[in-house]
Amino acid sequence: MSAADTAEYRIAHLRDRLASEDIAELGIRIEQRGTSVMLYGTVASDDCRAEILRIAREELAGLPLREDLVVVCADAPDHPEELS
Amino acid sequence: MIRVAAVGDIHLGPGSAGTLRPAFESLHEQADLLLLAGDLTRHGTAEEGEVVAGEVAGLGIPVVAVLGNHDYQSDQEAEVAAALDRVGVTVLEGEGTVLNIRGARVGVAGTKGFGGGFAGRSGGEFGEPEMKDFIRYTRRCADGLRKSLTMLAEADCAVRIALTHYAPVPDTLAGEPLEIYPFLGSYLLAEAVDEGGADLAVHGHAHMGTEHGMTSEGVRVRNVAQPVIGRAFAVYHLPVHAGGAAAGGGGVKAGADAVGAH
Ligand SMILES: [Fe+2]
Ligand SMILES: [Fe+2]
Repeated sequence: MSAADTAEYRIAHLRDRLASEDIAELGIRIEQRGTSVMLYGTVASDDCRAEILRIAREELAGLPLREDLVVVCADAPDHPEELS
Repeated sequence: MIRVAAVGDIHLGPGSAGTLRPAFESLHEQADLLLLAGDLTRHGTAEEGEVVAGEVAGLGIPVVAVLGNHDYQSDQEAEVAAALDRVGVTVLEGEGTVLNIRGARVGVAGTKGFGGGFAGRSGGEFGEPEMKDFIRYTRRCADGLRKSLTMLAEADCAVRIALTHYAPVPDTLAGEPLEIYPFLGSYLLAEAVDEGGADLAVHGHAHMGTEHGMTSEGVRVRNVAQPVIGRAFAVYHLPVHAGGAAAGGGGVKAGADAVGAH
């Protein structure tokens, strides 16, 4: 089997690692897009983002990786929502 | 009018002390109470519970919380809850609490909740014991929520809020893969909210979901997972129904007393 053939299993393994290792990240999306893998979502900190990408590069070595992981905003809101 | 601040899925770990504190410092100017919708920690250790407690201690407004699945990861959910309790946070599981806010009785009913899926696409109590346990556990959570909302009505609360970690409706999951909806929430929670009655239902858990939703009976649902609201917390202004306000208890001081549901 080629790398692309087994990509879906490798993505599943990456998901398992992100959940079971110290990072405990279950909240991002990891999807196969053609021959590459796309990671996106919002994470808690810069350190979390770096660790997720490190694990992803290790687990998906050989597959092109695209990512759009952003760090969550911790500012106070500038307006409330009025509920009637 | 009651000003409700809410956030879930803050996922604090040993290195995250102080990340939310700057925004929380002025919270008392914007809100009358803070709701925490679970997944307060990353792995649910006692140590992480202390980090969360430090972040929400002494805010000057009542803080009411439910735990999330991450807070159960290390089998130390009791320690996490105890750390929060020590700094005055009311942690709910199948129970309700009544707050006196500027003379109005505000009730919060809370449960972590669990999965199972949504009407027409949900798991049932059938077959293997593991499957039965899964759905029965969700049902117990939903029953606790229904009973506590009912008790809050009997306690003459002018405003009632249902607080869960798992989602009661699929609306607020938009953005998550459809295939995982059964792991994100259950219609049993929405049914409990509609039967027990509430002015607002707040949940977290679905990081990729959306903020706004509604139950079949028209109760507004808000997904306040921090990645969803994109802020340290969201603030909702809820009207106080005429006739429901209790006499006395003015000022900014708010007292809490627990109302058990079991
Ligand atoms: Fe979460
Ligand atoms: Fe969660």
